[in-house]
Amino acid sequence: MNHIKEAAWEIFQAVLPIVVLVIILILIFVPAPMPVIAQFMIGSLMVMFGLGTFLLGVKVGLLPLGESIGAELPQWGSMVWILVFVSILGLAVTVAEPDVRVLAAAVDKVSDGDISKDLLITAVAVGVGMSLVVAVARIVVNIPLSYILIGGYSAVFVLSYFVPPHFIPISFDSGGVTTGPMTAPFILALGVGFASVLGGKNSLENSFGYVALASIGPVLAVMLLGVIFG
Amino acid sequence: MEEIIILEGLSKIFTEMSLALLPLLGIFIVFQLFFLKLPRETVVKILTGMALSLIGLSLFLQGVKTGFFPTGMVIGEHMGKLSALWIIIPIGFILGFVATIAEPAVRILSYEVSKVSSGYIKENVMMYTLSLGVAVAVSVAMVRVIFGFPLIYVLLPGYILALILIRFSSAKFIAIAFDSGGVATGPMAVTFVMTLVIGVASSLEGRDPLLDGFGMIALVALAPILAVLVLGMLYGDKNRGEE
Repeated sequence: MNHIKEAAWEIFQAVLPIVVLVIILILIFVPAPMPVIAQFMIGSLMVMFGLGTFLLGVKVGLLPLGESIGAELPQWGSMVWILVFVSILGLAVTVAEPDVRVLAAAVDKVSDGDISKDLLITAVAVGVGMSLVVAVARIVVNIPLSYILIGGYSAVFVLSYFVPPHFIPISFDSGGVTTGPMTAPFILALGVGFASVLGGKNSLENSFGYVALASIGPVLAVMLLGVIFG
Repeated sequence: MEEIIILEGLSKIFTEMSLALLPLLGIFIVFQLFFLKLPRETVVKILTGMALSLIGLSLFLQGVKTGFFPTGMVIGEHMGKLSALWIIIPIGFILGFVATIAEPAVRILSYEVSKVSSGYIKENVMMYTLSLGVAVAVSVAMVRVIFGFPLIYVLLPGYILALILIRFSSAKFIAIAFDSGGVATGPMAVTFVMTLVIGVASSLEGRDPLLDGFGMIALVALAPILAVLVLGMLYGDKNRGEE
């Protein structure tokens, strides 16, 4: 019960200041503010309630799942299967990520359906899957994280030269939303599980870096989508 | 926004999210049957967690769709018509600052950084640095909507700076910095500020909302990376001096 209370308080703290600010903005800028405020308040209540329930679900069910899978996988022995499975897992987590959904819905709406929600979500999910493969492979082969980051971001900026301009902001935004309330904790749990089995003297260091890589892959994936469709 | 919408469209979102969670459920079932063989109690817990996630996600998205999206758009559109358009820059600054300082993930990161630096970088210092960083990032996004310059002009120098800072940071700080890119892009701030920017872009003449409305999240993701790396460098300097 204490868990729930704590989580509710956390969300309330995070949401309230923004709600107050937004209401002030509505009062200043919108000519007929009452219906807008009412609609916004109802929406905010749903957001708070929804986010709270979701985070509780992640804590109770999804994190333990991530950790047990993370500890189980390395025992398979076959690196190829581990990598295949990790990429599937990345896909599965990303399609359920709220931040990704929100961005995709906004892009769908603004582009009048030209860049559809499902297309963008699929591209982002593939990007996260690929990133996780690199993240795990990096630890096994023992390449420093900074090399991969420099290589990854160089690739991103070189590729951005060939991408149609209106795809560029969306690509970079896609990198930002994959580290939402679902993906980040799940990936971290997986990483901790991995590190505890693979061990070594760098186990703490190795458990980081997953999230960082998970935000490069989607940028590349959405840029490629732009090259193909643009 | 004449009629108030509450539950309209919720069933569609619910179906969509059930489908979205299906792959995870499938993975769990396969793993449970063939490898994990977790005790019954744990299985019940995991399934309960999934059900809660499904309900929570659906409600959250419904709230975003009916409350945040239209409100952000309406405010943004009205702001875009102002003659004193520059006012959106300080408003962006305030929104970015408040949203970040209120974000629980930011507090967790600040604590972590303070621990890694054995207390040399105080939690509060970290938190204010991060919030200021995000505030600047949102302001830059607003400036970009007004003038419409390419996102790359900001991101490229930003990431080059980050990659240069890597040279001066320890491996631990690098990992934390790049992992923390996501902390400030929480669902609250992102959903609202994003639609606000899109709203402004769509009401301004000569702005393409697809081109100029997006990109804010990318800027906000860069801010914590730079903030942690800079603090990490300061900490490293101090360490070197003592050795």
